[in-house]
Amino acid sequence: MDDGGREVARARHCCNEIIITGAAMNSMTPKLVVEGLTHYYPDEYTGESVHALEDINLELYEGELVSVVGPSGCGKSTLLNILAGLLPYKIGTASVDGNVIHGPGPDRGVVFQEHAILPWRTVAKNIGHGLEIRRVPQAEREKRVQEFIDLVGLTGFEDKFPHELSGGMKQRCQVARTLCSDPVVMLMDEPFAAVDAQTRITLQEELNRIAMATHKTILFITHSVEEAAFLADRCLVFSARPGRLKEIVKIDIPREQRNWTNMNDNAIFISARDRILASVREEVSIAVEE
Amino acid sequence: MDRLWWHFQQLLKIDAMNLVILVIVVLIGWTIISETIPNPARYLPSPLAVSLSSVDMLVKGLLPSYYSDTLVRLIIGSSIGLAAGIPFGLLLGLNKTVADMFHPMMNFFQSVSGIAIFPIVVIWWGNSDTTVLAVILYTSFFPIAFNVLSGVREIPIRYVNAARTMGASRYQIMKDVLFPGAMPHIATGSRLSIGFAWRAVIAGEMLAGRQGLGWMIFTGQDADRTAEVILGMVMIGLTWIILDHYLLRPIEADTIERWGLVQR
Ligand SMILES: Nc1ncnc2c1ncn2[C@@H]1O[C@H](COP(=O)(O)OP(=O)(O)OP(=O)(O)O)[C@@H](O)[C@H]1O
Ligand SMILES: [Mg+2]
Repeated sequence: MDDGGREVARARHCCNEIIITGAAMNSMTPKLVVEGLTHYYPDEYTGESVHALEDINLELYEGELVSVVGPSGCGKSTLLNILAGLLPYKIGTASVDGNVIHGPGPDRGVVFQEHAILPWRTVAKNIGHGLEIRRVPQAEREKRVQEFIDLVGLTGFEDKFPHELSGGMKQRCQVARTLCSDPVVMLMDEPFAAVDAQTRITLQEELNRIAMATHKTILFITHSVEEAAFLADRCLVFSARPGRLKEIVKIDIPREQRNWTNMNDNAIFISARDRILASVREEVSIAVEE
Repeated sequence: MDRLWWHFQQLLKIDAMNLVILVIVVLIGWTIISETIPNPARYLPSPLAVSLSSVDMLVKGLLPSYYSDTLVRLIIGSSIGLAAGIPFGLLLGLNKTVADMFHPMMNFFQSVSGIAIFPIVVIWWGNSDTTVLAVILYTSFFPIAFNVLSGVREIPIRYVNAARTMGASRYQIMKDVLFPGAMPHIATGSRLSIGFAWRAVIAGEMLAGRQGLGWMIFTGQDADRTAEVILGMVMIGLTWIILDHYLLRPIEADTIERWGLVQR
């Protein structure tokens, strides 16, 4: 990679003038940019509105896994739904690869908290659904589907229907479905919240492995501070409602070193985790006092 | 798949046994009653008399002609009703505002049964085939359309959102999410629709027709041929059971049961 190019890009970015002049700079152009995003939910009954997000600014770079933590109701899902294009927004901008977000699109893949794989499609057909929607020829589709089935460890379950899978397998299926569409950014809203503790640990390690293997850009929302610190390159802590970006905690641990046998002895992990925890606690107590 | 087939066969066996026993009991009871009452030929002809009359009607070719008339009416009427009602319900369901708006209206129309609209249709088209067909269409359209609409409204929004985030068009959402998602309601709705259509065919033939099983029952009563009346009734019931068992049930087993949308 051309380090000079990087520097130029970074410098330009600092002056808020991102100009893409060549392929070499692409790697330092953010994949996802959010600027001044503010959101109010109107309340049809009382006429008052709920102030969910306040002036959010963030950037996600290629291959980065960024987690978002914050007290319940601080607007994490709101942010994700706006980025997914499922919730229209008025104030601020959000864009992926330079394209302003106006609605849902295949450049963003979403993994929902409650599994949203279709009960009437088999595992393989669910995973290939995005490619089917884009009319990718069947032979190519099947090849790619198999690749991701193997990647998430669902080999042998291709022809099962979702009701025949465990909760953890359903989430693996959802992750594979999102990956298979090859989105620019992957958005995950508490994807492991509904599975048991043991499965959750496995899924976290698997996601780490998948992030390493696919080099995807991922925005990962979670309630669990441990999970955020384990997975993220950077962790964004949100304030109590209205959600503001309160603090960014960097976690500089190579992905190869991230597994639950090592992490609890890793000084960087421990300090990052405690830092995030303290920051979130403060906000939670504010949220409770309200 | 093999296991499913095995279950299916078991079901057939048990059903067949029960059916045989039930039929024998009914036939014996029926014979006893008809032997003990005065003038059975008028009030309740024995099973034997009904069979003899059906042989007679068969030989004359009347029964096949009446029967096929009725069946053709049912098939045409309810096919059109379903083919129009399912997409109609899905289309209404695409948009929440439209769906909420139409829901009470559809509920109104599906509750006004076929028999109740007969008089007005007879006023429009007289005692004709058009009248019969119109009533069949009406009775089969609304139950299916209403059920599909309700079904679409009950599909969890996250399924639709998942398809949207993968870039699905409205048509693709309808085909891949709404249609299969509404399948349990489509199944119930179809059963209701075809059941209502079946009643409407018979009623229509009695009131406005010149042919068919309904007509056969009606004239049988007029001409004091009670055996024909009973024969018509038996044919109606048998046809429905066969239709239900060999057409509707397998469709359900292959879709909603396989997908785990209902437990059995
Ligand atoms: N559709 C909606 N209409 C009105 N208000 C809403 C809506 N969705 C969310 N809110 C409100 O906006 C605020 C932020 O909600 P959001 O779901 O984004 O929180 P969250 O951070 O994801 O919370 P949790 O961690 O519990 O999932 C909450 O106060 C919530 O009540
Ligand atoms: Mg949430």
